[in-house]
Amino acid sequence: MRNGHADEIARLIEPGRVHRRVYTDPDLFELEMERIFGHAWLFVGHTSQVSEPGDFITTDLGRQPVVMVRHRDGSVHVLLNRCTHRGAKVVNERRGHAQRLTCCYHGWSFDTDGRLVTVPVPEGCAADFNKDEFGLASAPRIGEYRGFVFASLAAKGPSFEDHIGPVKGNIDDLVDRAPDGALALDAGMHRYAFNGNWKLQVENVLDSYHVPFGHASTVNKDGMQFARREGDQKGATVVETGKKQTAASWKDRKSFIAGNGHGWTSNTALDDGKRSSPAFDAYKKVLAEKVGKTRAGEILTPRLHNSLIYPNMSIMGLNIHVRVIKPIAVDRTEVTVYPIRLVGAPASMNFGNIRLLNVTHSASSFVQTDDLESFVRAQKGLKSTMTDWVDISRGLGAEQPDRERNVTRGLATHEMVVRAQYKAWLGYMSAAA
Amino acid sequence: MTAGGNGRAAFEDFIVREASLLDARRFRDWMDLFAEDGTYWVPAVPDQKSPLDQASLFYDDRDLMKTRIERLEHPRIHVQTPPSRTAHIVGNVVVEDSDAAKGEYVIGSTVIMVEYRDDAQRVFAGRQRHRLRRHGDGFRIVQKRVDLINCDGAFEAMAVPI
Repeated sequence: MRNGHADEIARLIEPGRVHRRVYTDPDLFELEMERIFGHAWLFVGHTSQVSEPGDFITTDLGRQPVVMVRHRDGSVHVLLNRCTHRGAKVVNERRGHAQRLTCCYHGWSFDTDGRLVTVPVPEGCAADFNKDEFGLASAPRIGEYRGFVFASLAAKGPSFEDHIGPVKGNIDDLVDRAPDGALALDAGMHRYAFNGNWKLQVENVLDSYHVPFGHASTVNKDGMQFARREGDQKGATVVETGKKQTAASWKDRKSFIAGNGHGWTSNTALDDGKRSSPAFDAYKKVLAEKVGKTRAGEILTPRLHNSLIYPNMSIMGLNIHVRVIKPIAVDRTEVTVYPIRLVGAPASMNFGNIRLLNVTHSASSFVQTDDLESFVRAQKGLKSTMTDWVDISRGLGAEQPDRERNVTRGLATHEMVVRAQYKAWLGYMSAAA
Repeated sequence: MTAGGNGRAAFEDFIVREASLLDARRFRDWMDLFAEDGTYWVPAVPDQKSPLDQASLFYDDRDLMKTRIERLEHPRIHVQTPPSRTAHIVGNVVVEDSDAAKGEYVIGSTVIMVEYRDDAQRVFAGRQRHRLRRHGDGFRIVQKRVDLINCDGAFEAMAVPI
């Protein structure tokens, strides 16, 4: 697959199945880094992570190390984190604060907008050396919505508005929960890694089919999962009481696709009327004071479970967090999970979320660990060359238009969302490099 | 700081036995070493000030500990099929603080845990701090805090407490 001809790639994706090589072929992985991660709008970070001028975070967009930094004029820049002199990575910390970004090797120093400011021993520079030509490269395009910063490494392509489309509403769903209408990703992070392809994680975030089986160890004898939100008295009913069958309410959950690989799953049925704790009640009161009781009621009626903003991030509306998926190699992936602080909510409410996220999505959690085991075993199984195809046909043909939302709807235990991801995948991968 | 050399052996015995319960997978007996208000904390940030405003690898009160252990006992916990085998070593034990009148003690130690599972072996290491409260002839853990040297790194799935 070294050349990546479009017709050859197209043969890997069929209506209800994909070829195992999309998970295992190192050449295809390199093509993904060029054609998907080198072009698509990727989530970089949140403005709250760089709230003051000079604040920065570092990450990778596919193969490209970048630094997201706030400049003196308040603008947020996404810069290639590679010295324009001899190529060293300039900023080595995961996050921090600096007036200038200075390379450790020869001391070239860049302003927080990428401009090259200082070159030690300038008399040695070539006669026609022009500092203006040696600034840190910027991501060609940056898009932001309510603090969520995305970048595309391609100068041309669909606009950010066209890319994100109706999924903006999923960001609103989260941000509106903050009494002050703003989020902060300042409550640390969970980092986990696994020996498996990045798409295993991407597919999993909208997969409701696996929950009763994959997460059986989190379901009690009554068929209920442990409580995952502050104030909940119990978790969702996943398995029918007394039976080893997926619960009817679980089977009824919906999923939605909105183009470009994005999608989401509907809320988990929970007894919202009984949701109460000192922290939750205090939060509800503050929210109602800010936005009115009716609006607060709407905001606190969950509509969304997980939302995927293809290809590299998801937002969870149940026990709230943002998750960023970073491919490392064809069989290695690293994921960062950020707890969300609702600005204006009581500290006790934000603690409730942090505390429960520790046990749902950390490397040592009750939920994520069984997913990681499934990803690792999938990668092991997919090494087998005796069978070429991976089945993703559940609900094929059962998709329905959702005219109210202008999206497509299916059952969350179906695989419509995975097929939609491969449609987007094929679009990126077939485009001329 | 009243404790001199006396008493250190009793504290060391206690935390060595605590670790050995984890190695024996006697998770319920391990949980019973904690006071009713006891917590088990593994920060995810070096020198983390508080578990309340930052994510932690573990911050379990008795309720979460119980849920965690019920899951470890569940026949379909995939990430423990096969189960982890662990070996702890605890050393460099120091009585950091003690108040004999109140029966409260702070014991620092270094812990190394080697874990083997499914053909892979890995090592966890760090400094731990036990806040102990006298309870009859023994102690109860008010807080066990483990500061892993790689606490802010990316981890593969961790199923058992350290």
